[in-house]
Amino acid sequence: MGQFEFSQALNLLIGTPLVPAAIIGLIWGIIGGALPGISASITMALLLPFTYGMDPTIAIVLLASTYIGAEYGGSIPAILIRTPGTNSAAATVIDGYEMKRQGKAGEALGISLWSGVVGSLVGLFLLVTMTEPLSRLALSFTPASYFGLGILGISIIASLSGGSLLKGLAAAIVGLMVSTIGTDPISGVSRYTFDVPELIGGIKPILVMVGLFAVSELLMQSGTAGHGAVAEARVRIVLPGWAMMKRLFKPQGIGCVTGTFEGLMPGGGGSIAAFLAYNEAKRWSSKPEEFGRGSPEGIAAPEAANNTVASTSLIPLLSFGIPGSNSAAVLLGGLLIHGLLPGPRLFEQNGDVVLGLYLGSLIATLAQILIGMMILPFCMWMVNRPRPYLAAFILALVMAGIFTINSSLFDIGLVLAGGVIGYLMRVSGFPFLPAVLGVVLGPMIEGSYRRSLLLSDGDHMIFLEDRIGLGLLSLAAVFVVVSLLREGRDLRRARGASA
Amino acid sequence: MVSRREFGRLTAAAIGAVALPANSRAAPMAYPHKVVTLITHSSPGGGSDVFLREMSKHLGRYIDATFVVENVQGGSGARAISRLATARPDGSVFYATTPTYIFTSLLSKPQHSFRDVQPLVNVFSDAEVVYTRADGPFKTLADVIAHAKEKRGRWGAANPASLERQAAERLKAAAGVNAAIVSHEGGGDLMINVLNGTLDIGVGEIPELRAQLEAKKVRLLAVFNAQRLPTQPDIPTVKESGFDVVVQKFRGLAGPKGLPADVIGIWEKAIPQLLADAEYRRIYAAESLVPDFIPQAAYATFINDFAQSSEAFFRETGVIKN
Repeated sequence: MGQFEFSQALNLLIGTPLVPAAIIGLIWGIIGGALPGISASITMALLLPFTYGMDPTIAIVLLASTYIGAEYGGSIPAILIRTPGTNSAAATVIDGYEMKRQGKAGEALGISLWSGVVGSLVGLFLLVTMTEPLSRLALSFTPASYFGLGILGISIIASLSGGSLLKGLAAAIVGLMVSTIGTDPISGVSRYTFDVPELIGGIKPILVMVGLFAVSELLMQSGTAGHGAVAEARVRIVLPGWAMMKRLFKPQGIGCVTGTFEGLMPGGGGSIAAFLAYNEAKRWSSKPEEFGRGSPEGIAAPEAANNTVASTSLIPLLSFGIPGSNSAAVLLGGLLIHGLLPGPRLFEQNGDVVLGLYLGSLIATLAQILIGMMILPFCMWMVNRPRPYLAAFILALVMAGIFTINSSLFDIGLVLAGGVIGYLMRVSGFPFLPAVLGVVLGPMIEGSYRRSLLLSDGDHMIFLEDRIGLGLLSLAAVFVVVSLLREGRDLRRARGASA
Repeated sequence: MVSRREFGRLTAAAIGAVALPANSRAAPMAYPHKVVTLITHSSPGGGSDVFLREMSKHLGRYIDATFVVENVQGGSGARAISRLATARPDGSVFYATTPTYIFTSLLSKPQHSFRDVQPLVNVFSDAEVVYTRADGPFKTLADVIAHAKEKRGRWGAANPASLERQAAERLKAAAGVNAAIVSHEGGGDLMINVLNGTLDIGVGEIPELRAQLEAKKVRLLAVFNAQRLPTQPDIPTVKESGFDVVVQKFRGLAGPKGLPADVIGIWEKAIPQLLADAEYRRIYAAESLVPDFIPQAAYATFINDFAQSSEAFFRETGVIKN
């Protein structure tokens, strides 16, 4: 940006502990993000009290680079142990863990690392150059637009169902039902809480994900005989080569676009962006049949998306003081505690903090490759231990992670129950992802639908009058029709083949 | 040589020089505990967390102890209340009160409710305000009400089952108008809908609006507090605007039941001194916090009244039944 002096930047880089802060934040973020249950916002909140006494610029750099690290770190356990470390890594599980099972963990980790860096760089570029126009866009979202976005998100169930559309829909409905537990978003009535205070705030998606994915996997494994030979001795991270980079260009681009939009919309956050990116990448891919069977594109899209969100959710934060995600909300806390007020005047009065934030994010992004290459071989070595030890370790890790959120045994009970349900779902062939999607999108769809109708006094035309909402809803309609047609064609073809 | 008289005068002056600042800033009061834990249900960086951490920086000048803030999150405040209710009532543990701790007890059946702990003192009232977008059609609260009478108002509150929502509902009832009151998922979500004109007004707290206020994107129309805000002397109260609604979002401290009288006495003395502290005043005034000291006995009554009126409100609006 033009208003910043080069010498000012140089001074920040050399004269202040900005570089070490960015790297420490990044490492802390990767660790927090990689621990199942500890989301990016919790990782940042744990660090926040330590920043109170620091220089404001350094404190903000530390928090922002933690965010970047955590968004990336969540993909490590998603790929290696089928456990999304953060909400937004749930979509990465699908093809990431599949690649790991095929003995391509090194490639999978390399792709997620590379895509995370691409996403961060694009997001950062937009943050630095486009804050003004994008913040105007952020202001144009009404409840009706959010409803459109939620419906577009849920329309991807078909492609996440992996075979049976009916079972996928059933799972999605269960997910939507779970999302109704807690305080009613409009009236404040407690629903299905049975007077248990732990349920007032609803069931967090991360508990559902960890239960369904990680605990059910442990149950599945313990049901098979043998100690399980170590699948793979190689512990090398393989960054994508030129051919692979070219192939990943499209899914990464899709990830960056969805990540940009999601970052701008408060309440959206990385998980919805990651799911949408996964789905769109599949839709536009030249090899859609590989998705769900270990497609590199299926890792690249969601990982680029959630890392883009880490930067673009700072746009509404810096320009209006409105955080675009939970993690951005923690960053807002960090700004306020240092007496820094986001908004147009932040750029004028505290330009050094903003410049430091840009520089720190850039350094954290570049350092991500280096740090990733250093710690990933160790992570791979860990998951190549004999299965009984590994399973015990994962269980302890998962339980400890969940307990850390609220020191709540109730949450642990929820995760274990989720594990049993997940096990039963797998045995009877129900897909998880629609259920997860239901839990994530349910509150957004319900809340924005009822908000819109309150505003319009019950008139459904409000959804067609809102231009953004109308666009998103039409897109969803087109996608549902196309996937139904495709489903029908596949069915006929299958019948034809068997006849 | 300094004569004896002169010596005496010099000595007196010297003592005076030492004694004067000591008079204006008395030594901190002795306290039975070295370390005092202040619990909050809010996450680091959240409202009560910031309140406690800012206060604990300055409290040491008036009470001779070290103050540690502990975040006990989860169960919408229920876990923090349990932690407090089961602590020893010796003055070593306190909890930052906000309406949340009462709402959670009313909306669910936690192991320990607000009735199982003892209010200590109140410190502040938050500034609850009605605001609109600066380039919108509404210049006063009367405009908003007139619009709602004529057509239909669209009003927003940050969260369901919150004090802001209560404030909006009470204003609607007092004015006898038709307005949709829309709850959101937090202040940011609400702010966007006020700025883009989806809503006529929002009800919120000044700290959430500061960025927009400074940028002159929003306009304050009225405050729900009993008196005008010292930082916004031109903004009338809702009551002055003709609607008999006063909402007080309190911030204070509570302890386990059975606090010793001497501990209560120390806090009752220290908080007014702290509120008068010039350095601390600068910080809380910037956040538009209104000093609102209430001593122990009166605070217990205040909390009870608040709980009763909230319960009545929740029943009226069907949030709680039976």
